[in-house]
Amino acid sequence: MKAGAITAKYEASSVAAERPHHWRRLRNPLISLISFGTLLLIWEGATSLGLIEPLFLPAPSQIAQRAILMAEQGTLLGHIAASTWRVTVGFLIASLVAIPLGIILGFSRTSRAIFDPILSFLRPLPSMSWIPLSLLWFGIGESQKYSIVFMGAFAPSLLYVIEATKSVDPLLVKAAQNLGARPRDVMIEVILPGSLPQILSGLKVMLGIAWTCVISAELVAAREGLGFMIMNGKEYFQTDTVVLGMVLISITVMATDLVFRFFERRILPWKA
Amino acid sequence: MESLTSAPAIELSHVSKHYGSMQALKDVSLAVQEGEFVVIVGASGCGKSTMLNMIAGFDRPTNGRIHVQGRENTGVNPECGMVFQQYALFPWMTVEDNIAFGLKMKRMSKAERRSRAQEYIDMVGLRGFEKSYPKALSGGMRQRVAIARVLANNPKVMLFDEPFAALDAMTRQVLQEQLVRIYEQQRKTILFITHSIDEALLLSSRIIVMSARPGQVVQDINNDLPHPRNADVQLSERYLELKRHIWHAVQAEVVRSIEAAA
Repeated sequence: MKAGAITAKYEASSVAAERPHHWRRLRNPLISLISFGTLLLIWEGATSLGLIEPLFLPAPSQIAQRAILMAEQGTLLGHIAASTWRVTVGFLIASLVAIPLGIILGFSRTSRAIFDPILSFLRPLPSMSWIPLSLLWFGIGESQKYSIVFMGAFAPSLLYVIEATKSVDPLLVKAAQNLGARPRDVMIEVILPGSLPQILSGLKVMLGIAWTCVISAELVAAREGLGFMIMNGKEYFQTDTVVLGMVLISITVMATDLVFRFFERRILPWKA
Repeated sequence: MESLTSAPAIELSHVSKHYGSMQALKDVSLAVQEGEFVVIVGASGCGKSTMLNMIAGFDRPTNGRIHVQGRENTGVNPECGMVFQQYALFPWMTVEDNIAFGLKMKRMSKAERRSRAQEYIDMVGLRGFEKSYPKALSGGMRQRVAIARVLANNPKVMLFDEPFAALDAMTRQVLQEQLVRIYEQQRKTILFITHSIDEALLLSSRIIVMSARPGQVVQDINNDLPHPRNADVQLSERYLELKRHIWHAVQAEVVRSIEAAA
């Protein structure tokens, strides 16, 4: 079985090698593009033929028209900006607290023992469960949105950071101490940079969670943002607005992920 | 027993180490004088590394005492610079920053750190690689960075834990000769662990043969091969004589450890 797999792989690669170089590079994106185009065509066809009621699922062209209309009114960018800003603020605050705290907790058993009960309590709580309390505390303003993102992202981020500190080779800590590093130096000079790759890949997952939080918060109570846009569309039976909102969420999350990856590469030049 | 006038650079008095029921070292007493290059040879598992770890302060003896420069070890001692077999370079730092790490810990200014680091980069022949990351270097170059990193920190004592064991034969020889040169220039106190008798003879001023587990000192041999030394010394009459002598001592211990394991 194994031998068969190897032969098949060999044949596949030798066939590919005969083809021109650029074709090999473009092949898979091209297949993806065709599959996506086909899906849109089927969707468009099914709705224009009346197979699907537009109230349940509007045609792509109708969604595009809605997008153009909202862009002209200036509300489209407003919703995107509002949600992105809330995610950014909440996520940054959560990271800025979680990274140093996680490094300390990862380094010192005593501090871990102190924080363990609080963390064990916070960890299983879904961010949605904070919404009522946060509305009482902060009203429906911006700080309430930040707090939901923060509460959703903070506890898991902290656990990621603690876990990441364990990936640092203990030999490097030994070497640093041998060169005169004190505990604070070890944390700043060894544990932090040594666990940064794992921290960043954890935070990338957290960014996705932060988006979930902000959309939930906006679905419940907001005056703008992509979550609000979806909810508002539903109220007025504008299914195209609802689907457009979903598409925009997807695109925006992908875009923030790309931005994050860009910074990740710049922060970790030694990984390249 | 402790002399107050001229304390040895490293002194172990009746040191034993147990890990649970396993005894790694048994009643080891050893004094290394300042400027000596002591190489410890012994079968694997004879507690050589344990001994080095305790001298560096990473570990404490179960019984006995360890003094470095006349002061008893209480924790990790930066006066004992350690070169590890696995290099232990910081992968996120350039060659230059790795070498300057100890200086940074001493809160030395950036400019001074840079010039001091450059001195040692040149000494180990890595000019042009200042801005490289360890990942881009060969094993031999990485170990040179590790040696320079310890040298730059200017410790009283240097400890080497089988530093060349992972390198290929050619690279190893180059690094051995480089280390001999550095020793001849700097005359630092060095304690070096290996299981290669040739390496021991080429580098040392004194050779300690350790027994199979539990580790004990079984031979203490003065290596009088002349300096400056290079690989040619291996062809001399005296070299072969010493080698034969050490070989028999080590051989007996290796056989003993194999029999003990069987």
